[in-house]
Amino acid sequence: MPVPEALLGLEKIILEKKPTALMVGPFRSEALIAGMDIIAKYKVPLLGTIAMAPGSEKKIKEEPQKYKYVFRTCLNAVHLVKFLSGTMGAINKQFGFNKVYVMTQDVAWARATADLVKKLYFDKSGWTVLGMESYPTGTSDFSSALMKARAQGAQVIMPVFDMPQSGTLVKQWNTMKVPAIMAGFISPLAGSEAWKIFDGKIGGVLNTTFELGSAMAASKLPASTNFMQKYQKKYGQEIQAGHGPAPSYESVYILKEAIERTGSLDPDAIVAGLEKTDRQGVMGRIRYDAGHQAVYGFDPAETGVSLVSQWTDSGKRIVVFPDSLAENAIQLPTGLKSAK
Amino acid sequence: MFAGTIVFALINSFILILMAIGFNLTFGISGVANFAYGALYIMSAYMSWTMLNLLHLPFWASAVLSIGFTMISGALMYRFVLLRVRGQALSEVIATFGIGLAILELFRYLGLVGFEYTLPVFSNESFMIAGAYVDIQRIAIVLIGLLLVLGLWLFTHFTATGLAFRAIAQDERTALTFGIDSDWAATLSVSFGAGLAAIAATIIIPLGSIAPDEGYDVLIKALAICIIGGLGSTGGVIVAGFIVGFAERFTDTYIGSHWTMIVSLAAILLVLAIKPSGLFGRQKELEERI
Repeated sequence: MPVPEALLGLEKIILEKKPTALMVGPFRSEALIAGMDIIAKYKVPLLGTIAMAPGSEKKIKEEPQKYKYVFRTCLNAVHLVKFLSGTMGAINKQFGFNKVYVMTQDVAWARATADLVKKLYFDKSGWTVLGMESYPTGTSDFSSALMKARAQGAQVIMPVFDMPQSGTLVKQWNTMKVPAIMAGFISPLAGSEAWKIFDGKIGGVLNTTFELGSAMAASKLPASTNFMQKYQKKYGQEIQAGHGPAPSYESVYILKEAIERTGSLDPDAIVAGLEKTDRQGVMGRIRYDAGHQAVYGFDPAETGVSLVSQWTDSGKRIVVFPDSLAENAIQLPTGLKSAK
Repeated sequence: MFAGTIVFALINSFILILMAIGFNLTFGISGVANFAYGALYIMSAYMSWTMLNLLHLPFWASAVLSIGFTMISGALMYRFVLLRVRGQALSEVIATFGIGLAILELFRYLGLVGFEYTLPVFSNESFMIAGAYVDIQRIAIVLIGLLLVLGLWLFTHFTATGLAFRAIAQDERTALTFGIDSDWAATLSVSFGAGLAAIAATIIIPLGSIAPDEGYDVLIKALAICIIGGLGSTGGVIVAGFIVGFAERFTDTYIGSHWTMIVSLAAILLVLAIKPSGLFGRQKELEERI
């Protein structure tokens, strides 16, 4: 949907439904950032749970009085970079790997994420980035990059994709027997159904779930497990999306608590209540920073958390990062040897 | 890596040939540029997926039935829509594009988007060829592509229907004097073209997923290959498939993956500038049109 239409839709909802607050919000960051003026005009608090670009935080910090109605409960791109870097650090520490081949979807957020991981982690930590390839949405042949990764001796392949075809990259990595561990973000691999959908060819892959409780729970945080179980009981199926469900669920309680805290439905009062949020929920501890972004880190007792899981050869997902949630250490895919 | 690139370029070429050959067949015989071609490709894939996952039919039964239904859809499209605008090129394009748009956007409206919409591969095995592991599905694409091209040649040279197709393609009025029903031939050509799109979808989709956007991509690629090869020329489709297929893979390997998408478009511009009728096309040359 083009941004102007998304904005019309947003304004229509506000005018016709007259909501006290909005949840989830625009899917694409472009629409969120452009829509912030509409939200400011009508003074409707928004708890966003999908759009990830940090540009909205910048606007809030620059003009807090105008844009204070916008909050983000989901992960943002900056925190994703932190998690990807942390995963690479764990791989380096455990196996001594330091040669990586980066493959991304040819969209702004994916390229920017990969560039930031390179700039903020790989370049500063002695890694060799053998190549950075970006692929148009819809690509279903990744053979060239996989051959290059093999020829250049890549030990790690870091993918950043959110298109349906990206599961094909993993299947091709498997069938081409590329001797490198695949670790990054591939959205179709988040849910339990991925094993069946991708013909069981995803064993050994490390994948990031953006928010704990979205597509995956961690046994070390019972609240996340309870949420997943309750969802399955109610809807008869597991959550498959690794981005959105948990922060959307949490946002309902965050808003409820903010209203109870201030005892008012006045938008400014709700905003003041939201700013005081300090909630322990399915994603860990949620507090908002000055840019109204939920703070994410590696310890659920202190912040919200993402998680990295590894698909086993028997089709199970095991949490391997961060350490506070890990159920097991990272395992090398069959046939791959540690550099240590 | 060079040998491996050649192997995957060969596979890519056959994928492009398979994507384009049905569009080319229809245009070559009936003169109809079927802009619903990409939508028929995706529709057949969704039909296979539905029969496989919701009706729990075996894969081969789903594939055969979806190919059959797609062929019938193509024939019905010609009889009920295209027949009325036959010979009016712009109206044919608008009608087929409208039908394609309606089909693809209906799938999007129904929410049939996501990685779970895919078809199974024939086998999970892979073999080392020229220093690179290649999966059975890709090998099958090459073999089926070869068989289809050979089968199409035999069909058009040794069967009455095929010979009627060629007669219509060469000169419709003369063919009419020999008692060949051009509407019947055109109906079959649209139907066969749709069937070839369905066969291509059955073997190519397992490499990716079924998505409405894929329908537009397939149409663009089919157009690119046919324009480069020369609209209506089967030999041209094959040569153009190899040119673009190799250019894409070598660009991907030695220049950069994000440049591959412009290769076919650049090739169209180049061919149109040098030889407006395509490499093997028999359409009117620019000077003839003037």
